[in-house]
Amino acid sequence: MKNKNEEVKKTVKKAYSKIATNSNSCCCQCGCGTLDKQTVKKVSKSIGYSEEEMNAVPEANLGLGCGNPTAFSSIKEGDTVLDLGSGAGFDCFLASKKVGQNGKVIGLDMTEEMVAKARLLAKEHGYANVEFKLGDIEKMPIDDGSVDVIISNCVINLAPDKLKVFKEAYRVLRSGGKMYVSDIVLLGKLTDEQLKDEDLLSGCVAGALQKDGYIVKIRQAGFKVKILGEDKEISKTQYSGIALESIKIEATKLG
Amino acid sequence: MKRKLMEILACPIDKYHPLELHVFEEKEEIVEGLIVCPKCLRWYPIREEIPEMLPDELRKEADDLPFLKKWKEKAPQNVVSEGKPFNLK
Repeated sequence: MKNKNEEVKKTVKKAYSKIATNSNSCCCQCGCGTLDKQTVKKVSKSIGYSEEEMNAVPEANLGLGCGNPTAFSSIKEGDTVLDLGSGAGFDCFLASKKVGQNGKVIGLDMTEEMVAKARLLAKEHGYANVEFKLGDIEKMPIDDGSVDVIISNCVINLAPDKLKVFKEAYRVLRSGGKMYVSDIVLLGKLTDEQLKDEDLLSGCVAGALQKDGYIVKIRQAGFKVKILGEDKEISKTQYSGIALESIKIEATKLG
Repeated sequence: MKRKLMEILACPIDKYHPLELHVFEEKEEIVEGLIVCPKCLRWYPIREEIPEMLPDELRKEADDLPFLKKWKEKAPQNVVSEGKPFNLK
């Protein structure tokens, strides 16, 4: 099992370093890295980014998300925010504006090329309250109870051990802290062929859990779960009709 | 990396906090340095301002050992000789 999990991580890492080094990219299925700017914009709009948000740091928006967690989060000024799987940093930069000078945003990602790209963009655009570090979301390099809000956009499906991710999220959040996740969950069974498809793995499908199983795992980690939204349209617009949806969840660490 | 980040960094393996910071090059931010977990003696490089806090299985000896070699005079001796997951002993 351990070896299989490491294989999954390697496959995902490889796909995303390729995406990071291409100028534009593509989340869904193909992993081809060839989405043009217009398509990225169209996709971003359909998953909930405003025109203003899209213009913030367009180079950081790789069109890899399936929602806009910052928009449906309760991030406040002065908060410490952690983004799980921060990629080129787009959601971190949006969160940065919400936390202001007294807050900070930390982006965690396991792909060197993504972290380097995000770091460069933060410098170029003067996001002084955002920092990126290389790390594994199953083994977060963060102290217990040190984070107010966690956001994550279409990433946890890529992690081989999702319960571990949720347990880690629970550990690093302060009591009363919240996690806002936008992620792909399945609404039907995949074929064996689909499950083995590496592009579907990096494309957020083959590693995704059934909706109920996903929610159960968040609860098992200790969270109180509230579903904020479900987007079934995304199946048609980005995943050629595979039975899945993008789910938006608020998970609260009580006590 | 800003020094302030140390406030919330913990060892990804044993979650120990606070970690030790050794700075080798600093401009506006720390450019190169070493983060050490005093509990398990794992070391994590800071390279090009980015703290690399990956667990053992995602690290590559071929990338990390040259870094330790480069800074072996400035790095704590116990890390150089006994540090995990790689050392120069």
